[in-house]
Amino acid sequence: MKLREYEAKNVLWEAGIPVPAGFLIRSADELTPHLGALGAAFVLKAQVDVGGRGKAGGILMAGKSDGTKVAKELFGKQIKGLPVKEVLAEQKLDIQHEYYLSITVDRSSKQPLILFTEAGGVEIEITAREHPELIKKVVANPLMKDLPPFLIRELIGKAPKEIGPVINKLYKIFIEKDALLAEINPLVTTPNGVFAADAKIIVDDNALGRQGIAMNRDLSEREREAEKHGFSYVELDGAIGVIGNGAGLTMATLDLIEFYGGKAANFLDVGGGAESERVMNAVRLVASVPSVKVIVVNLLGGITKCDEVAKGIIAAGISQKVIVRLAGTNEAEGRKLLSEKGYEMLDTMDLVVKKAVQVTA
Amino acid sequence: MIYGDKKTGVLVQGATGKQGEFHIGLMNAYAQQVGGRGVVAGVTPGKGGQQVHGVPVFNTVKDAMKEHDIGAAVIFVPAGAAADAIMEEANAGIRTIVCITEHIPVQDTMKAIAYARMEGASVIGPNCPGLLSPGEVKMGIMPAGLFSHGNVGVISRSGTLTYEVVDELTRAGIGQSTVVGIGGDPVIGQTFVDVLERFENDPQTKAVVLIGEVGGNLEEEGAKSTDLPIVSYIAGVSAPPDKRMGHAGAIVEGGEGDARSKIARLKKHGVPVASRVSEIPDMVRERFRCHC
Repeated sequence: MKLREYEAKNVLWEAGIPVPAGFLIRSADELTPHLGALGAAFVLKAQVDVGGRGKAGGILMAGKSDGTKVAKELFGKQIKGLPVKEVLAEQKLDIQHEYYLSITVDRSSKQPLILFTEAGGVEIEITAREHPELIKKVVANPLMKDLPPFLIRELIGKAPKEIGPVINKLYKIFIEKDALLAEINPLVTTPNGVFAADAKIIVDDNALGRQGIAMNRDLSEREREAEKHGFSYVELDGAIGVIGNGAGLTMATLDLIEFYGGKAANFLDVGGGAESERVMNAVRLVASVPSVKVIVVNLLGGITKCDEVAKGIIAAGISQKVIVRLAGTNEAEGRKLLSEKGYEMLDTMDLVVKKAVQVTA
Repeated sequence: MIYGDKKTGVLVQGATGKQGEFHIGLMNAYAQQVGGRGVVAGVTPGKGGQQVHGVPVFNTVKDAMKEHDIGAAVIFVPAGAAADAIMEEANAGIRTIVCITEHIPVQDTMKAIAYARMEGASVIGPNCPGLLSPGEVKMGIMPAGLFSHGNVGVISRSGTLTYEVVDELTRAGIGQSTVVGIGGDPVIGQTFVDVLERFENDPQTKAVVLIGEVGGNLEEEGAKSTDLPIVSYIAGVSAPPDKRMGHAGAIVEGGEGDARSKIARLKKHGVPVASRVSEIPDMVRERFRCHC
């Protein structure tokens, strides 16, 4: 789950990494008591859970005289469809130079990977593409609690020495907060020292419990409903509902829909060994999206009992057409139950998908 | 076969849990069918002295190792205890460790894999279905009924999608040497490169089906590393791009972790990529004319 900017900056501040003076406000009026501390010019940043908020108008410059007016404007906006409920009012920094620093999980080396460049800022991805040699990369041994000083020296090179402690502190955050990503871009030098001007922290969804995070904000309401049942669920914008078991098979089913020229409305992964009640809940959830015209059920696996799946589909009693492909134990019983109720059951995933695309065409 | 055969004694960690018990039964049914040793010992702390399907349970891996000849382990313990189980097995001297458990925090996985590497153990998974060498050994949860003995190796990041591919191969009369599910997590022990290296040294394996997914570039690294003929399938062409990983993801993977660019790069390396699972058997047969 991605932390909001103000949450990430709080984590940085608690770890001893300097961040610009800032205040979280939930209405334009809440800005007034902070106007003195913010100085002549400051920044108002919408705290919405979407990327690219700057270009979408979510970051505005303001001053002492027009601050409240600008804040009102920002609170009245929708950023990529999301209402602005929280705004971070932040001191404007006197930036001398912008650096980029991040720590992420490297799939190749299976270790934390630290990236640092003196060419930080908004153009970082262009730099990475055109001048990869400017980006320094080191991997850390996950069995060690601290970064050895030589690694930090290798990273910062001729950059100011005061960046060293920031790297070590960010590494501690990465480990202790179960982060998949801890990124400071830009990390800036000012006449008053270094500051994390922006920060991004993504917490491992598998560690939310031990991090004391009760609810995953990255999920929509229906996705959260699905999570309660132990399903993984994603919403798209077509007309075919998809139920599968296992992420790979479900993804392959979606790809096949696209291959045959159709579009999926959503997909739900029921997991292994689905019993009738689970299947019923899954079918009802997928069918609850109004745009779903037909549902493809594609279940495969040794421990999935086809008669249980059939009972679940029948018990769901939904109005949309359901096309089923089942392979596993008790296949014949499952087929019999479904055909008695007039459901269509086909032998391969190619056949069910082709049929569903025809129905929605 | 790679990683183990009929003679490999398997240990199950988390033997007395619902999953562990269920799959000890299935693994030993397969062992009986092929005349292998199968699961010879289980481990659950505090449950030493019990039996599961006639298999003795021990409190620690070292206790089990004292009484049994064990070559591999399969882990079914909950996510919070799985990294510790990997390290316990590596430390006790087990060299092949299959971790079925899903939802392990990635920080724990990184530590456990670094530790296992130090001890000289290979970890398959986590979050994987394990492996199966038809006619030899099953370590994990793959449905054995779909498999047939032959010369094609299969490596996959997925679970059920692997079964789908194996089912297609078997129906087309193409048998498998070993099928390895390497796991779907961002950090896994054995990657495509490691398993392909084993296949290269395995005289039985003549060609390999490589089943990948969107994210990372381990499929390409694998394809580059081997001379074995490969057919590939990449799931996730229709998946919406995941923008969550910020700039770091784009810098590390060159912004190319998505399925389409992955497919393009595999093709550039001369690896044929199936656009549907059902195309795989014909591609294996046509391209390589292997006697399978």
